[in-house]
Amino acid sequence: MDFYLGLIQIIGVHTLLGLSAYCVLLTGQVSLAQAGFFAVGAYVAGMLTVLAQWPLIPALAVAALVSGAVACAVGFPALRVKGLMLVVATVAFGEAVRLFFFNFTYQIQAGTLHLGPHGAEGFRQIRYFPENGWSTLDVVLFIWTVVALVMAGLWWLDHSRVGAVLRAVGEDELAAQSVGINITAVKVSAMTVGGFIAGIGGGIFAHYTTHIEHAQFGVVLATFAIAYPILGGLSNVFGTLLAAVFIQGFLIEGLRFMGDWRNLLFGGLIVLAMNVRPRGLLDAGTTRALRRLFAPGKERSGA
Amino acid sequence: MDLLDLIDAVQSVADGVLFGATYALLGIGFTLIFGVMHKINLSYAAASVGAAYASLLVMSVVQAPAVLVFVAAAVAGGVIGGLVYLVGFKFIPLANPLATLMSTVGLLLLIDEIIVHTTAGVPLNYPALFSDVIIEVGPFGLRGDLMFVFALGCACMTLLLLLLYRTRLGLATRAVSQQPTASLLCGISTTRVNVLTFVITGVVGGIAGAMTGAAIGMLSPLLSLPLTVKGLIVTVIGGLGSIPGAIIAGLIVGGLENAFQFFRGVSERDLYIMLLLFAFLVFRPGGIFAKSSGRD
Repeated sequence: MDFYLGLIQIIGVHTLLGLSAYCVLLTGQVSLAQAGFFAVGAYVAGMLTVLAQWPLIPALAVAALVSGAVACAVGFPALRVKGLMLVVATVAFGEAVRLFFFNFTYQIQAGTLHLGPHGAEGFRQIRYFPENGWSTLDVVLFIWTVVALVMAGLWWLDHSRVGAVLRAVGEDELAAQSVGINITAVKVSAMTVGGFIAGIGGGIFAHYTTHIEHAQFGVVLATFAIAYPILGGLSNVFGTLLAAVFIQGFLIEGLRFMGDWRNLLFGGLIVLAMNVRPRGLLDAGTTRALRRLFAPGKERSGA
Repeated sequence: MDLLDLIDAVQSVADGVLFGATYALLGIGFTLIFGVMHKINLSYAAASVGAAYASLLVMSVVQAPAVLVFVAAAVAGGVIGGLVYLVGFKFIPLANPLATLMSTVGLLLLIDEIIVHTTAGVPLNYPALFSDVIIEVGPFGLRGDLMFVFALGCACMTLLLLLLYRTRLGLATRAVSQQPTASLLCGISTTRVNVLTFVITGVVGGIAGAMTGAAIGMLSPLLSLPLTVKGLIVTVIGGLGSIPGAIIAGLIVGGLENAFQFFRGVSERDLYIMLLLFAFLVFRPGGIFAKSSGRD
């Protein structure tokens, strides 16, 4: 049972990571910096609860704000370029963050223990959940409450004017600019929101794994982050959730019985999925078909 | 700093510049594919490492002199390049850049895993040429294997430039990269040019992979991600689409990498390369050889 609860935790956190990339992808930008924001959130939240003895929620809030601020600061120089250049710039940022934490040591003495991040060894003993008597089920509920809140927020954003603006920039920058949208402001805001969400995800990740180290936040995690929304489709937030379940639940855990072959299939199935469904598993057409199935006659024109 | 340290520093920078030929070749590959298809092929460096592995496989079956390992890697690289086009690009609509980006990520993971699966994740020794030769220049020594790698890299770049600027295929390639529609109207088959670009960059990548193996002395699947990142960095510093830029940037990155390693240690080395890249993106987004109005 604990195994499945653990899996549900992982899916939840990775959904948050995917949603953070979803925001940025809506504006047509491919950002591989999400793992960097995730790392910032993880380290900040961990240091606040372990070193400063803060409760979890304010620690997560501060972690999210710090990540958002970092994303905003990175957004300005990085979003002056686009396409391949942006991919490279964000990869470089993500790697720089990772290497920063690889060299980052800040420890305090607590009894016989040394607490805090310690360079290559990572940050051990983030024991907020066990110390405060949270059961695994509590943690699962907490994670999914956060996921639900974030998804509801993004859903609302998607269906408001903001969502239309984001998608307009993503579809055609020139057209968006010519109707008076400040595209730099839109992109940087999307990046900031993405950083904020990644910060929450990272903070939660740090607490349920209890041990974080730089190697967890590499390019691979960054590609996972963009893989969820791209594989799931950008038509709405549920695509990201579906892809997180598909990748973490099916490709990684569900195929475990295949042993070594699982990793081979992993890459192959992603290639196959992109060939068969280039606009994502849950694209606009499927969404419309589903809506027609569950609510016949209620479909708005142009939805 | 006394004289001995200075000599050591210059020595390590020189080694780095020689090794930088590898980065230059990878950078050229990324630049060419992006130039022709306006797509990023993230699986490129992994395919290059894969080609080097394939050449080892060939060498284990056929008894041949060590020089042929580079030929085998080049051929394998070309084949893998064609396959990458077929699997990752052919059937995916070009209007959807995210889908091809994701499919190349999938291919990157797939190639890495094929390598891990067949070698059980153990690094393999790679034959180096002239590794016993050391040319003494004053207080410095130039390693024979690195010199060979550098010379091979230069030869590849020369051939590639000749191909691009002196043949009809090169003309077609450049035409497609500038104006796909217009070149289609002129009777150039864009699909054919795309496939050939993938095969040619695959050959170049295979040689780069073999060069990496020869310079380091071994191959490991762990090489592909750092090489991807370095190749992309070289592409950007050199300026997207600029082959001379990629060459210079490759050598600079190789040299600086060793300089940072010498002065700041291996764990901080890449951090400064990333910062250098960021500086370039902010102040010279068009790369080294960009005109001053290069920013879009």
